[in-house]
Amino acid sequence: MTNTDKTSLLARSAAAAAVLAMAAKGRAAEKEDKFLADIKSDDADVRFAAWDIAGEMDPEVIPALSKLLAADKPGVRKAAAEALNNIVHSVGKEVNPAGLRANAGRPDALKQLDKRQQVVAKLLEVLAGKHDHAEKVGALRHLSLIATTDDVPAIAKFVHDPKLREEAVFSLERIPGKTSEEALLNSLPDAAEDFKSRILAALGHRRAEEAISACLDAMKSPDTTIAMAGMKASARIGIKTGGQTKLPDYDSLSEWQKIEYTDSLLRYADAQAGQGNPEDAAAIYQAALQRDEGHWQCAAIIGLAKIGTAQAAAAIFPKLRSDDNTVRITAQKAWGAMSEQPGG
Amino acid sequence: MSTKTKTSRRTFFAASASATLGFTIVPSSVIASPAPSDRLNFGHIGIGGRGRRFLRPLAGLDQKIVPWENLGGQGDRFLRPALSTALCDVDSSRLDLAATAVGGRPRLYKDFRRLLEQKDLDAVVIASPDHWHALMTIMACQAGKDVYVEKPASKTVEEGRAMVTAAERYGRVVQVGSQGRSQDPAYHANKYISNGQIGTVRKVLCWHYENPAGDWTPDAEPPQGLNFENWIGPARRISYNEKRTHGRFRWMLDFGGGQIRDRGAHVMSVANWIMKADYKGPVSVEATGEPHHDGMYDSPQHMTVTYEFKDPDWTLVWAQPGVPSEELEARYGAVYWGDSRRLTVTYGDRHTTDTEQKAKDYKIPHGGAEVFRSPGHGENFEDCIKSREKPIMHIESAHRVATLCILGNISYRLRRKLEWDWVNERVRNDEEANRMLSRPSRGPWHL
Repeated sequence: MTNTDKTSLLARSAAAAAVLAMAAKGRAAEKEDKFLADIKSDDADVRFAAWDIAGEMDPEVIPALSKLLAADKPGVRKAAAEALNNIVHSVGKEVNPAGLRANAGRPDALKQLDKRQQVVAKLLEVLAGKHDHAEKVGALRHLSLIATTDDVPAIAKFVHDPKLREEAVFSLERIPGKTSEEALLNSLPDAAEDFKSRILAALGHRRAEEAISACLDAMKSPDTTIAMAGMKASARIGIKTGGQTKLPDYDSLSEWQKIEYTDSLLRYADAQAGQGNPEDAAAIYQAALQRDEGHWQCAAIIGLAKIGTAQAAAAIFPKLRSDDNTVRITAQKAWGAMSEQPGG
Repeated sequence: MSTKTKTSRRTFFAASASATLGFTIVPSSVIASPAPSDRLNFGHIGIGGRGRRFLRPLAGLDQKIVPWENLGGQGDRFLRPALSTALCDVDSSRLDLAATAVGGRPRLYKDFRRLLEQKDLDAVVIASPDHWHALMTIMACQAGKDVYVEKPASKTVEEGRAMVTAAERYGRVVQVGSQGRSQDPAYHANKYISNGQIGTVRKVLCWHYENPAGDWTPDAEPPQGLNFENWIGPARRISYNEKRTHGRFRWMLDFGGGQIRDRGAHVMSVANWIMKADYKGPVSVEATGEPHHDGMYDSPQHMTVTYEFKDPDWTLVWAQPGVPSEELEARYGAVYWGDSRRLTVTYGDRHTTDTEQKAKDYKIPHGGAEVFRSPGHGENFEDCIKSREKPIMHIESAHRVATLCILGNISYRLRRKLEWDWVNERVRNDEEANRMLSRPSRGPWHL
């Protein structure tokens, strides 16, 4: 074969490949067009048939599908929403890259992860692009299910968007890993005052240990809503704070905040007991035992019984004769449980 | 605030135990006898169609009144003295109706936290929409109230576990309104099956009719008098639509979750009770189903969920529509398949709950397995307020039942089988499913 022949063959092969690629692209586009047309159909059964197989569609369809969330016809909006759900759920099983590594021998896992990244990329495109509020909300909610630490920065930008901040925090709160916790924590200083308690709550819900200093700082706020948000979050995080923790000013709290204040102390005590700091826990329980409120006495009795020391028993003992029926029976049960423990 | 309280607060972190005493069994003479109050004061949160059923009117104080028949119990009996002294609803029209029904001068609230602050309430009845159940229950425990909360206990698995923790932390009695366990026919079925009369049960097959599709009623402004922001509370923001609010939220997966979380919380509650699965869970959950092709509701039209339990091995199937019993006619219920015979329990919520005559006639032999017979779901709750025992549908049991319902919907949504680690309450090898076990709350509302 001459060089001219070889060149000709290569050129023909390349042209054929290009034609095939174009044909494939054309078929994909055709499939996408038909899918979207079916989603927009006036026939509910046709719409259903389309959304039912949406998980098989190329993620490229996501932006166009998102647009249909604002369609005039409610049946089309429903079909688009269900189709997006199915696309997201079809890639959600192996979200975590660590899961991919663990299942590296499974080709379907690799394939799924690859498609997940494409789906996430398209959802982020909707989030960043000129799309309606409803579309962006939908994207953030879907991202909460399948986004990973890699996607956190793109989502975190919206914590400062007044219209999307709630959904952005919702999304970050659901994405596992330190990166999302750090993003929440980093957003706190610049957050609007009326949104700081929401971010603190997210950090508390996540038990984000790195956030404990920020929570303790928040507890010093003259704004009791922020101070209590800090206290509630730190109690949920539950790590030993030690030193001179400045608690919110009790007397300036509303009646409900006072209830949350004591609940936070009791949660903190439970956490300390669980982490092997019984002395810290017992100190709080013993003080709660002196309160008038029966349910705080009950919580203290239950906590002390779990600690199970002689000192704890001594504290519970007077409550065996309490005038309060609930406190007395709680003490009796706690006493019985302690007696059954080894060495009781 | 009393001086005593103030001083105690200051010493909250500082106190330490100084006394030492080895503990022993205390003689009964040391333990004072109970001095229970004769009358219970109830607060009510959520007083729509369901919530009004639990009101205890002023008129009932000096006369005996028969409880709502759907709350079960044995034969004719009367309610103990109790009074609804505080009412709360986000809808003024419902609040006014309830106040009139109670009579006298009950305190009225639109913010349930104000009701929970009232120190004279012994207990609260929560009959709000499902997405509020967990938070309101937890906050009621924090405020020292015992709780009767409607079923399903929770909307997510995380919520249910938090409810259990709150009840345990404060030593509160929490009864969940799966009242089938208090229906006498369910008791008869339990004693019959527990004493081996149908052999070893290997499968329990539930049946129930379909979920509705809904029409396309357009969204609108909330009616005057309804604080819709507080109606939504911790849930995702949606526009007001009369077909999604009050009793109709049930057909939205994000809110009520369909019949599996409504009636499933009754039928499967009885199943878990009879099968002694109150502290266990399935090892796998697999749902199939098909949604309505049109209409505003997204809970599935048809649905079949198969739960596999181990040690002992048995299968629970929730099916809409499923296969109705051949023995008893009813719109829903369950057939218990033993290896020698079978037994039907219909419904599991209302007074028409029934079982077969052979179970009703059965007498437990000497030394046979005893089964607790509830005096009625409300009465059992009130008994436990005094005795501090766990009620028949205590929160741990209800959490386990709600978990079945929730996992069924997650599997349906994800279109895949879930491998369930019921000890740690996690789905094995499914990241997305695990993220769906909890749901961040909106605004100031947090577990």
